[in-house]
Amino acid sequence: MSAQISSQLLNVACGLFLLTAVGVLWRRQVSALITLLTVQGVALAAIAVILAEQHRSAEAATIAIGVGLLKAVVIPWMLRRVHQQLPDARETRPLVNVSTSLLAAAGLTLLAYSAARPLVALAPTASAKATPVGIAVILIGFFLAATRQRAISQIIGLLLVDNGIAAVAFLATGGVPLIVELGVSVDLALAVLVLQILTSHLHTAFGPTDLDELRELHD
Amino acid sequence: MTTTTFALYAPAAAPFFAALLALVLPWRPAAWAGMLAALSILASGVVLAVWVSADGALSAGPLRADALTVWMLLVIGAVAAIAAAATISYLRHETTTATRRATRRYLVLAQLFVACMSLAVLANNLGLLWVAVEATTIVTAFLVGHKRDRPSIEAAWKYVVLCSVGIAIAFLGTVCVYAASVAAGGHGITALDWTHLTATASSLNPDLIRLAAGLILLGFGTKAGLAPMHSWLPDAHSQAPAPVSALMSGVLLSVAMYAILRYRTITDTAIGPGYTRTLLLIAGLASLAVAAVLLIAQRDYKRLLAYSSIEHMGLVALGVAIGTKLAIAAALLHILGHGLAKAAAFAGAGQILRLTGSSHIDAIRGLTARAPALAGTYGIGVIALLGLPPFSLFASELGLARAGVTAGYGWAIAAAFTLILLAFIAIARHTTAMILGAPVPNPSPQSMTPDRVTTVMPLILALAVTAAIGITLGPLHHVLDAATAIAGGR
Amino acid sequence: MSAWIAAAGQALLIALLAPIVTGVTRAVRARLEGRAGGRIAQPWRDIRKLLRKPPTSPEGAGVFFSAAPVVLMSTSLLIAATVPFVSTAGIAGSADLIVVVGLLLLGTVALALAGLDTGTAFGGMGSSREMTIAALVEPTLLLAVFALSTRVGTTNLGVIVAAGASDPAAVFTPASLLAFAALAIATLAETARIPVDNPSTHLELTMVHEAMILEYSGRDLALVEWASAMRLAILLGLLANLFAPWGVATGTTWTAVVIAAAVLTVKMCGLATLLAAAEVYAAKLRLFRVPELLAGSFAMALLAVLTSYILA
Repeated sequence: MSAQISSQLLNVACGLFLLTAVGVLWRRQVSALITLLTVQGVALAAIAVILAEQHRSAEAATIAIGVGLLKAVVIPWMLRRVHQQLPDARETRPLVNVSTSLLAAAGLTLLAYSAARPLVALAPTASAKATPVGIAVILIGFFLAATRQRAISQIIGLLLVDNGIAAVAFLATGGVPLIVELGVSVDLALAVLVLQILTSHLHTAFGPTDLDELRELHD
Repeated sequence: MTTTTFALYAPAAAPFFAALLALVLPWRPAAWAGMLAALSILASGVVLAVWVSADGALSAGPLRADALTVWMLLVIGAVAAIAAAATISYLRHETTTATRRATRRYLVLAQLFVACMSLAVLANNLGLLWVAVEATTIVTAFLVGHKRDRPSIEAAWKYVVLCSVGIAIAFLGTVCVYAASVAAGGHGITALDWTHLTATASSLNPDLIRLAAGLILLGFGTKAGLAPMHSWLPDAHSQAPAPVSALMSGVLLSVAMYAILRYRTITDTAIGPGYTRTLLLIAGLASLAVAAVLLIAQRDYKRLLAYSSIEHMGLVALGVAIGTKLAIAAALLHILGHGLAKAAAFAGAGQILRLTGSSHIDAIRGLTARAPALAGTYGIGVIALLGLPPFSLFASELGLARAGVTAGYGWAIAAAFTLILLAFIAIARHTTAMILGAPVPNPSPQSMTPDRVTTVMPLILALAVTAAIGITLGPLHHVLDAATAIAGGR
Repeated sequence: MSAWIAAAGQALLIALLAPIVTGVTRAVRARLEGRAGGRIAQPWRDIRKLLRKPPTSPEGAGVFFSAAPVVLMSTSLLIAATVPFVSTAGIAGSADLIVVVGLLLLGTVALALAGLDTGTAFGGMGSSREMTIAALVEPTLLLAVFALSTRVGTTNLGVIVAAGASDPAAVFTPASLLAFAALAIATLAETARIPVDNPSTHLELTMVHEAMILEYSGRDLALVEWASAMRLAILLGLLANLFAPWGVATGTTWTAVVIAAAVLTVKMCGLATLLAAAEVYAAKLRLFRVPELLAGSFAMALLAVLTSYILA
């Protein structure tokens, strides 16, 4: 693969990655959100594979395949199980209306662009230049987790944050070492599992998993 | 396997095996296995302390121990032992045939929790440190939600979401450090080794390290309960079973603080101490302010202890911010003293909760009349936490004040101690109301439980140790000195 | 001189092609829904019939009402003449992005004013809805094409299309993907298609475009319908040439121009087919959800501009 095509493919994967994050803010239906997250997982894996090919690193390729399996197969499957358990939570409930959130997403991307300058300045390669995309997805994830009411939206926000961080790791450094990535992935999968179980506990204790109801504890 | 390797792996492996045992054994031997695991952490800590004072540092595979690690291991071991003792008395009253599965889950997760914390302080690789700290969030989620009622599930949810977000930020910081290290010539897994990073710190890109330092402070600061990222802490600490609260408050917060200390040695060389100092000063004073304000009107004694943890973590952050030799030593000593005293206080609070069935301060009056031994122990625990002599928190707070004034941060110390005075008054007033005063006319039926001295013996022992450390450090003196030097105290 | 003839020829081509494009969308839609439907040239016959009939105007309607069809038609013709549809050389090469968007907006505003001018409830309702939509669509159009212009460093449409035609691979960047998505949604909104508006409804709750032109009849209606068809053709052509710039002539030789015209016809009809097929499977959005969709397209356009800087 020529260098130009590979860097162009990388750019397309990054664009798709960002687009899915915006899509998550846009759509209300939880099933659509899970689909978008799956696509984002695929885009992330694509970024990892392209970078592994560029660096000609077998370790990076292994990580890429593992990350792809986790983010595009395992986690969406777990989320679908949560979704099936809680049929009443079909639509998310935004605190901030969708139009405003989308404009906020654009603003957050601007912020990400300025925040990522040290990372870009360190190694001005094509992939490092794309790191603001990862940071933008992180910020969008935070925004989502902060402004959505349903428990499952918060899980999705958390996953966006995590995908964004993984993207930054790949783009800025070509991926963290295998052992660390392994630990991170296992931790993430377990965290989603924990949240999945907690969601069903929340459901039995509070009824519909509307986080507005969480008012037992305060000062 | 050499003895060095054995001593390095034992602190993480012992609780791990105890967790495996808890899967198969009945609860009583399993709980005792937990106690054994805690004691073996303590023993490894002592053995490593001797070796480290001779050799400087030991390493085996991904694990490494220096004086700072040893200090933290001693804290973990001591607090885990108190928590294990509290677990035995907690489970004696909680376990029925119906809750056997829940009990098993509790024992397994509590041991894994201790194992993760030991791993975190032993990891030489900062990536591994992150993985271990994140793992503590996962294993404690169900411990916080152990009771399965509405408040505890709510607390568990908030805890997992907030801490996962916080720790994700810390991972972003780790990635930035890794990027800087790779750019400076680091390679593969060694690029994230603390030893490698401290050796090459001066060649790391300063802009990137500044970004990383901010993210790391925000991330691990969330886990350490520093304001303004503290909001999960009172909920989780008040809802978790008392032994778990003891572990979380006594060591988990300190382990997060330890991570900040490790990173600070790198950032100090790369960008100078000014940036992290400012951030830590702000976070420390904010934590003190939040704790003092919310302590005044507090109505729940477990939340009272939780806010006191925020206050103490604020003090430790202040010590780390000032960063002189005396200040770091005081902060490390404060970590130990706070761990012991807070664990004892939480364990006592758990027994009060069982005795009275209520966690409201108003519902508990005249505890001395009903359970003199428990009331006395709890009272002494709170006195230790208030920083009165002879307990070691008095010594560390005094050291901190002196260090701050000498280093030219008199204003920060003045503000901090004004806030501490407020917290002091609030805690003292609430606790006096609980312990002294006329008893409530209609005690709840649970008060039939006899008030036995044996259940408070471990707590009395812990408080005695805190007092002893306050008077003289003895052999610990060398460890504390060496740990201070490693943590960058100048 | 030949450049002016070429421009006039292009305007004529678009004007002739536009009703056919509309006809294609209707025919495809009818076929997919299992109806026989009209012929592809049916819109042309409607326009011809309407052109023979004298217009009527409501009582009290003023100059805005009578001027709107002419303004709409002339702006459409002007855009059709200047935008580089067939060739990037000649007068077509001087089309500036901002001018084109401005002309499109002028047409929209003229029609909205006409709707208000009739003084009827429907006209006013349609106008207010149209302006709500236009307020978000026009900036989106501007930003989306602007994102493409950063690649070549100018807002001149001719240069942008020529750059794309000479290096088609460069079109597949994240910025242009995002810009395409934004522009596609903006096109749907601007030309009153599903899911923003339903072109074949006369139900007052859902109408936007149809409500504004409810009072028109005869020649005026023919002009409005024709101009609207041209706007659809223009935007589809713009979409085609910006994101699939194959076959666009870069000179003014006869053979190249004829081939380019044929390719353009095929591309427009292809896009029209896609549009109709998509409409069959989509439902119209509730009106208060429309701003969400448009804000989304605006956000994407803004992201396109940002990424064109980041992922250059």
